Amino acid sequence: MKKLTTVFGIILTALSALITAGVKTVFCACDHKSESGMWMSCHWAEQALFAIGITLCCASLMTVIIRSGKVRAGLALGMIPAAVSAMLIPNVLINLCMKTDMRCHTVMRPAVMLICGAIAVCAGITAFSGLKSKEKA
Amino acid sequence: MFRSLPFKNLRGKPLRTAVLVTLTALLALTFLAGTLTVSSLRSGLASLENRLGAEIIVVPYEATTKKSFENIVLQGSTGYFYMDKQLADKVCSAEGIGQCSSQFYLASTSAGCCSIPVQIIGFDPDTDFTVQPWIRRSFDEPLGDGDIVVGNDLNAFVGDSLQFYGVECRVAAKLDKTGTSFDTTVFANMDTVKRMTRASLDKGLNSFKNIDPEKVVSCILINTSDERSADEVLNDINIHNKKVKAVRTKEMISGVSDSLGGVSRIVGILIAAVWLLGGVILLLAFTMSVNERKKEFAVLRVIGASRGKLARTVMAESLAVGVLGSLIGIGLGLLIMLPFAGAIEELLAMPYLLPDAGKIAVLAAGAAGASILTGVLAAAVSAYRISRMDTGVILRGDN
Repeated sequence: MKKLTTVFGIILTALSALITAGVKTVFCACDHKSESGMWMSCHWAEQALFAIGITLCCASLMTVIIRSGKVRAGLALGMIPAAVSAMLIPNVLINLCMKTDMRCHTVMRPAVMLICGAIAVCAGITAFSGLKSKEKA
Repeated sequence: MFRSLPFKNLRGKPLRTAVLVTLTALLALTFLAGTLTVSSLRSGLASLENRLGAEIIVVPYEATTKKSFENIVLQGSTGYFYMDKQLADKVCSAEGIGQCSSQFYLASTSAGCCSIPVQIIGFDPDTDFTVQPWIRRSFDEPLGDGDIVVGNDLNAFVGDSLQFYGVECRVAAKLDKTGTSFDTTVFANMDTVKRMTRASLDKGLNSFKNIDPEKVVSCILINTSDERSADEVLNDINIHNKKVKAVRTKEMISGVSDSLGGVSRIVGILIAAVWLLGGVILLLAFTMSVNERKKEFAVLRVIGASRGKLARTVMAESLAVGVLGSLIGIGLGLLIMLPFAGAIEELLAMPYLLPDAGKIAVLAAGAAGASILTGVLAAAVSAYRISRMDTGVILRGDN
């Protein structure tokens, strides 16, 4: 179980790093500014996702480094609401652009939904295996 | 069931099983992605054809020199051009005209949150025969002044207020998805659009500085009467009106149709190539796997397993690999193709409309069935060979 927790901790770290780096590169929001020179709202969704991504990175890295199963489970459990919040940021908590054929809708949102969904599932498995390994200890 | 010999064999060689499952998943993924892309492109083209509804479109001659002219007229891409309203009246009064209605185009420079332009199309509710039948599917009331109907891809909902050039508009309805740029278009009656145009001129945001919105239109849509053919009317308009150009909508759509044919052929070739390669690799993998397990099968024969039992074991292994691989492939395919449909549409720059859930389920089942069948057929060759082998020769080590 400990080995499984470590493996899923590494997967979590990779996914968290992907979301953090991805929202600034491959699936970033639209790079347009409005007529008044202000960023469009999808830019702020991108910034919020970047901040949550860093938090997820730190938490997932700790699930790999820390040996205690219970602490690992606690960290992983904390990552689930963070990942769900990240899924809700594009277009639910922060509005995206008006045209849904724009990059923030067609690339950023689905990518964030998929990766954060995977993070939530992996965090659930990590938490479960972390608790199990603690019981055995 | 999972404790039976075929499953034990699969678990005993995890790397080989993983490679076979990956190959089958790749086959299912390719088949689903390919067929879904072609099907969506066909749905998009059908949707575009349904949306047309006019036989002839008449536009100012200069407009035909614009690169994006066909996309503006056919698919609602952003852009605008104007011609004298008197010309429109002259064209509409020509012989052989059954239905005639003019439209007014305007591209917004800012809508709500974005600096991205939105195409605004104004139509005359009294004469219109192309927009209203489509709008009626979502909104069965006359559009009042300041009311707008928005395309499906606009992030605005019924009851929302949007501002175009400072003119406050109320979203009266949201249209069904078409898979074309019409999904990001705003429709309003002529008076509302002319009010927006006046506002754009007042703010200096319209490149046509000297137009009077009351005296111009953007295009004329025509359906011919039974008396004359579309070609006769088209030639008549083009000969007698130098400043306009009449175009058959069917001819305009043939370009999109040709592109779709090209993309379909490329996708077809790619699917065939991946399938051929995957089939050959699966055949080799099963043959090699059976060859290296000859002694194992010979021992099974010695302890009483029939030739049929050995063949069934190989077939059961391939079936298990096929089912698992295709489930993974279908799952991955749906996870890529459905959420990223918008990105694929942008990439292909063609009308792209995902089929309904029922058709997607049929395509997924077809992809799964085809990949399982390929795996089973590839294994059938090995199963036949194993059922024909000479146990004595194998055990003596002569082969």
